[in-house]
Amino acid sequence: MSEPLIEVKDLRVEFDVRAGIVKAVDGLTLTIQRGKTLGVIGESGCGKSMTARAILNMIPKPGKITQGKIVYHRRLQNNGQSQLDDIIELTELDPDGKVIREIRGGEIGMIFQEPMSSLTPVYTAGAHINEAVALHHLTPIRKVGDQIAEQVLAHHKLTKEEAREIAVEMLRRVGIPKPSQRVDSYPHQLSGGQRQRVMIAIALSCEPAMLIADEPTTALDVSIEAQILDIMRELQESVNMAIMFITHNLGVIASMADEVVVMYMGKAVEQAKVIDLFKNAKHPYTQALLKSIPHLGKKKTGARLASISGMVPDPFDLPTGCVFHPRCPMFMPGKCDKIAPSWTKVDEDHYVACLLYEEV
Amino acid sequence: MAVAEQSQPVVTPSTKQKQIGQSYWSLVWWKFKRNRVAVVGGIILVAFYVSFVFIPEFFSPYQLEHTSDYAEAGPTPIHFVDQAGKFHLRPFVYGMEQTIDFVTRSRTYVEDTTRMYPIQFFGRGDPYKLFGFIPLDIHLYGVDQKSDPQAIVLLMGSDALGRDWFTRIMYGGRLSLMIGLIGQVMTIFFGTTLGVISGFYGGAVDQLIQRTTEFLNAFPQIPLFMALAAAIPTFWSPLAVYFILTIILSFVGWGGLARQVRGLILSLREREYALAAKSAGASDSRIMFRHLLPGTMSHVVVIATLAIPGMILAETALSWLGLGLRPPLTSWGVLLFDAATVRAIHNTPWELWTVPFIIVTILAYNMLGDGLRDALDPYGTR
Repeated sequence: MSEPLIEVKDLRVEFDVRAGIVKAVDGLTLTIQRGKTLGVIGESGCGKSMTARAILNMIPKPGKITQGKIVYHRRLQNNGQSQLDDIIELTELDPDGKVIREIRGGEIGMIFQEPMSSLTPVYTAGAHINEAVALHHLTPIRKVGDQIAEQVLAHHKLTKEEAREIAVEMLRRVGIPKPSQRVDSYPHQLSGGQRQRVMIAIALSCEPAMLIADEPTTALDVSIEAQILDIMRELQESVNMAIMFITHNLGVIASMADEVVVMYMGKAVEQAKVIDLFKNAKHPYTQALLKSIPHLGKKKTGARLASISGMVPDPFDLPTGCVFHPRCPMFMPGKCDKIAPSWTKVDEDHYVACLLYEEV
Repeated sequence: MAVAEQSQPVVTPSTKQKQIGQSYWSLVWWKFKRNRVAVVGGIILVAFYVSFVFIPEFFSPYQLEHTSDYAEAGPTPIHFVDQAGKFHLRPFVYGMEQTIDFVTRSRTYVEDTTRMYPIQFFGRGDPYKLFGFIPLDIHLYGVDQKSDPQAIVLLMGSDALGRDWFTRIMYGGRLSLMIGLIGQVMTIFFGTTLGVISGFYGGAVDQLIQRTTEFLNAFPQIPLFMALAAAIPTFWSPLAVYFILTIILSFVGWGGLARQVRGLILSLREREYALAAKSAGASDSRIMFRHLLPGTMSHVVVIATLAIPGMILAETALSWLGLGLRPPLTSWGVLLFDAATVRAIHNTPWELWTVPFIIVTILAYNMLGDGLRDALDPYGTR
């Protein structure tokens, strides 16, 4: 039973810089299902983060969304009872307007790669959480534990004690030890893992319908990474939240995602269920990526680890046809360098953009 | 004793807890305290502001309007030993006899050793209203005028109307020190607001604000002051002139601060916490003033502290030129204006006592500002 939450349709994000126009995202189509995790994978600069920013309508200057749309199936809670559905085109909204600001944080939360610099140094962990709650007035009502929720319902404005209680509760939920003390800690007094937990607590304090995690564990060591991923999985189950998980770590994707989109040079090249992708990758790029992972416990064959030949192309001078063709081991001359591949269904829930699977 | 022993273990963990929760500012304070020079500067300034700005009525022996027969009298000598060679624990002054040399028209004062006036501390003198509403007549020092109206103590001499110069310096300090502070508060307000907006939005807004500051900075300062001050209508009340002058001083001063704040914001806005705040649904003004501005505060405090002397000096210079404050207001600049004639320097050199007060204030501000800069810079090696 899947129900779309965010549909990105033929999205193009362009940066008009002096040397020319860079297409950071070029004709991307993907769907994020309610309550599911979509992994987005690709190398640096392939447009993963730009897609995430585009969803929140936060493309930095001089970038522009020049084509396509992002449809958000908003579900409003009316007195905590009935559900009102609303379809919003995020790209149409005023990027500084009230509606998008309600959605940001309130309905779509985001956490970042660098927990070290994602918290404002002059505010305590508790102050950050309270800010997020205060920015989206209604949210604490349906959020934190029942006993607090009752108190919160009674008042329109949170008292200091209630706000603090909410913050402590949120910190406890993300597994920060001694949350009642840590709530008063400044960012420089927290470790990297704790800061990322605080970031997650901030994002979750408004119980968003979706969390965009932009390489949330890249800056953390592996044991902390495992803890953070566990917390995200647990919390996702408890609040039925969708996650868009951006990473370049295939191992993390395998353990987190339900579905995976592989991106290359601003385009989706393959989308599949996570098992399908790892077992039965279709696109030569995905296949090459999977081959480049070292396997623990595998018998030594003496062979070198596979790498993808060539370099990432110059974004100002993209190859014609399929952008991957100069590096592709399956390159078909006269075809791949002439014709741009289209989004083809190869299996149930399995799409690929490659001429190998197209009748041309 | 038993209580003290019991309280010992209770106190230790609570102070320890405080250290764990130390904010940036408590660390700054800790570092600042260790800088002797800066602390001395700070103490001088606190002393000056308390005694000159808040309660000069108490510290000065007379009211500002108190005139006497002793015009242009030099500082009254203070004695401990009388004519008979007897030592008095309480210092005293002699009465003064005025003689006028009819050839040179100069006044000279001779001590009349038959009249002795002991200096009273916390004695009664001119009535005044403390903070404008507490009626009092106690002064830090003075001589008993009630029993003998001829008695007077002039620590730094008197002016042509027989007013105590030290009293005038104190009251003058009130306006001069306040103009620096109020003007700087306004400068901080304009400078940071415009600097943050300029740095955050960039583009056309940035261009407009930066070109405006350049335009203001390109003007030679004194002629600009003169032009603005000359535009003040002469029929305005001295108080209105004072406020307008404050506004003029801060109007000219905000450009530099705005530029520095803009530079800091340009780098801070690229930090991830600005993006994180935006993704949490914060509005632009919230990001600018709640998330980015605090990051510039340490710089702003230092720049502002080091800029206050400039404002005090600007007031002094304008008033000295006769363009700023005018009598009956008393400021250090007005006092300098009085002392700025050859005749004054020759006949009443004690009127130059204003100068050391100005110099000490400026030095104290620089000492404090320097110390703050060191304390606020977490990467400083000193």
